[in-house]
Amino acid sequence: MTRVSILDGNTFLVSDERGDIEPSFDFPTGLFSFDTRFVSTWILTLDGQRLHPLSIDDSLSYGTRFFLVPGEPTHYLDAKVSVLRSRSIGGSFGEELTVLNHAGQEQEFSLRLDIGADFADVFEIKHQRQKKGRTTPGTRTNELRLVYRRENLHRETVISTSAPGDIDEGGMTFRIRVGPHGEWTTRLQVTTIIYGARGEDIRTTLPLGGHRTAAAIHAEQNELIERAPKLGCDCQPLAGAYRRSLNDLAALRYESIALGVRLLAAGLPWFMTLFGRDSIFTSLQVLPFLPELVPPTILMLAGLQGSRLDDFRDEEPGKILHELRYGETAGFLEQPHSPYYGSADSTALFVILLDEYERWTGDTTLIRQLEHETRAALSWIDTYGDLLGTGYVWYMTRNPETGLQNQCWKDSWNSVSYADGRLPAFPRATCELQGYAYDAKLRGARLARTFWNDPAYADQLEREAAALKERFNRDFWIPEKEYYALALDPEGRHVDALSSNIGHLLWSGIVDESRAAAVARHLLGPRLFSGWGVRTLADDQGRYNPIGYHVGTVWPFDNSFIAWGLMRYGFREEAGRICDAMLSASRYFDGRLPEAFAGYERDLTDYPVQYPTACSPQAWSSGTPLLLLRVMLGLEPQGEHLIIDPALPEGMGRVEVLDIPGRWGRVDALGRSRSPHDGSRGH
Amino acid sequence: MGQATEQFFAALPRRAPAVLRGPTDGTLQIDLTTGNRTEHWYVELAPGSAQVSREQRPAEATFTVGADLFEELADGRESALAAVFRNEATLSGNVLLFLLFRRFFPDPPGTRDPREVAREVVREQAGRSE
Repeated sequence: MTRVSILDGNTFLVSDERGDIEPSFDFPTGLFSFDTRFVSTWILTLDGQRLHPLSIDDSLSYGTRFFLVPGEPTHYLDAKVSVLRSRSIGGSFGEELTVLNHAGQEQEFSLRLDIGADFADVFEIKHQRQKKGRTTPGTRTNELRLVYRRENLHRETVISTSAPGDIDEGGMTFRIRVGPHGEWTTRLQVTTIIYGARGEDIRTTLPLGGHRTAAAIHAEQNELIERAPKLGCDCQPLAGAYRRSLNDLAALRYESIALGVRLLAAGLPWFMTLFGRDSIFTSLQVLPFLPELVPPTILMLAGLQGSRLDDFRDEEPGKILHELRYGETAGFLEQPHSPYYGSADSTALFVILLDEYERWTGDTTLIRQLEHETRAALSWIDTYGDLLGTGYVWYMTRNPETGLQNQCWKDSWNSVSYADGRLPAFPRATCELQGYAYDAKLRGARLARTFWNDPAYADQLEREAAALKERFNRDFWIPEKEYYALALDPEGRHVDALSSNIGHLLWSGIVDESRAAAVARHLLGPRLFSGWGVRTLADDQGRYNPIGYHVGTVWPFDNSFIAWGLMRYGFREEAGRICDAMLSASRYFDGRLPEAFAGYERDLTDYPVQYPTACSPQAWSSGTPLLLLRVMLGLEPQGEHLIIDPALPEGMGRVEVLDIPGRWGRVDALGRSRSPHDGSRGH
Repeated sequence: MGQATEQFFAALPRRAPAVLRGPTDGTLQIDLTTGNRTEHWYVELAPGSAQVSREQRPAEATFTVGADLFEELADGRESALAAVFRNEATLSGNVLLFLLFRRFFPDPPGTRDPREVAREVVREQAGRSE
């Protein structure tokens, strides 16, 4: 079924192609805000008949227009009446219903809107649970109020109509007369309320801007896009993907319930909240283009840094969070996301982001302000991160009921396996975690030396990094297979599957120079590279499945970091191939790269097959075209300057990015591919 | 006022140098409610120091919670943010200040060092496979 979504930060609405919402317990359709479904039924009928769409205008992220007629599709042409449904979202949700009479005489209609709210938490949809609280409907003149209570938790959905209607507990009915060729309109307003201090909406007692209008969202998105560097290029898919990415990143910004700042939600519909890992990877991707999106994320992650040992939340002092949820299941401890810390990479990635942020922006204030949090993060790597005391970062949840088994980016239960498909015991030490730890130490050393006036600590971190690199190259390398093991099992043996994780090792710089070529060969070889990108798992491994979430699909974000890693080791041609493949794939998704697509061979399907339940837009997929641009143009800050060293894939033609912001002010980067087919080829 | 609450506030000045190491400062008001009665506490947070007072003063943030629930926060059994999410506690004002204060709440009672637990698990697994 086609689904139509609109969003404003973490308030979003998913309906079918008629604009209707039917109660669903397997997919999050409905109106959601702060992890709660405020509308689960929203069905429009005209004289008892469902409507059918003639067309949908969904070009805006925060608004949709549906053109509907009653009856079956074959009767379209004769329609004596049509209905326009025009909706927008901006904190609250508004829908204008217009009935158009196409007949030459007056007609009577009964327009009915069935309305319901189940107040389900996103996790109750994922896991199908019954509500513990009670919903009570209340009717007033032109207003339906649905009230949900569980102990002190109190949420409301209030639906009002501008034109008078008959309000009952299950919806609204409008008995209307419309003159010849005339029209009738009502404006429905849906307000969501989360009660907090002093019986007010929690969002009004905290320093938040509150509800934004659609016009305000429009202005704000435009301003953000206006500030971003301008892209000029011959390659249409690149131009389309860049514009789409900026739009989606603007739409995914939401107001933190706790900070009064704009954070980036991770992905629609399942992940409309703050994730440590996702927000850090996205920040790294967008830094050259939209650096102002980054400090709020850094401040929030620092503010919520782990401070105690808590088994339920997998929390430890110094650890950066995995996931923060605001819903009922987090509040009543049915889920651990208040916040949950089950992530073994976000802590090192936090240090990496801080350093990268300063390199681009020169914002030393933030670096000095967060010295204590950064030190605590570095210290976590060698203390609680090193569960077994072997000099590596390991993970093992202490919350077997609701915690995550795999605490790396591939966090599904079967993502870490031996080549033959067996699953290793816990704790596990995946390879990319060691790469991030290595990079974090080197970057931490730079921060300590340059900003914290602590050269002794800097020296120590550099010594530790060098020792880690040596140890890692000894313990993770599989000589007969010529790649790094996906992980070590608790006995220190190789978990020997061939996976995309080895690409992240290049990004971290932990790979010995002498082994980089072998790693690059594997990444671009037929087992990992599908033609559309690098698969999460090689196609001859025991658990390979081209539509397995982390065991065979292609993830655009993963590929963008692999391309960055290849660039780091000088494999510009190989990096270019990945950029080219990703941009080619993006064309099939209207420029919007999804969370993941299937790992089928390119020759087999001719187009990338979307993963069935992929999130879209997804922040780190939206960030992907931006990082690919960085890689193709070879952008690297060095001191007060920006190095520009373009190496564009064949046929890309001209690429220019104007006004790249940073400590240098603003500079332009220009590149042109060296190929006889310049500009003549679409992708 | 519960014993854990009393001990918690009494220990803040001593614990502050280890907990408050960033540059943030400001006053947090903590309102502990019992029925219709509210006890006000004021904690002035500054780099390396925390001053506790019962005398009214301007505050940048307010945390309101039942005295019984605060007793459980003070001994580590409960979590402040979860309580906010189910509206059993409420927050207003500068939330960063509260997030800083949250670092004073102790581990849940009986929590073991995860490294100790992990090494024990590995020893057991090795024992089973022999």
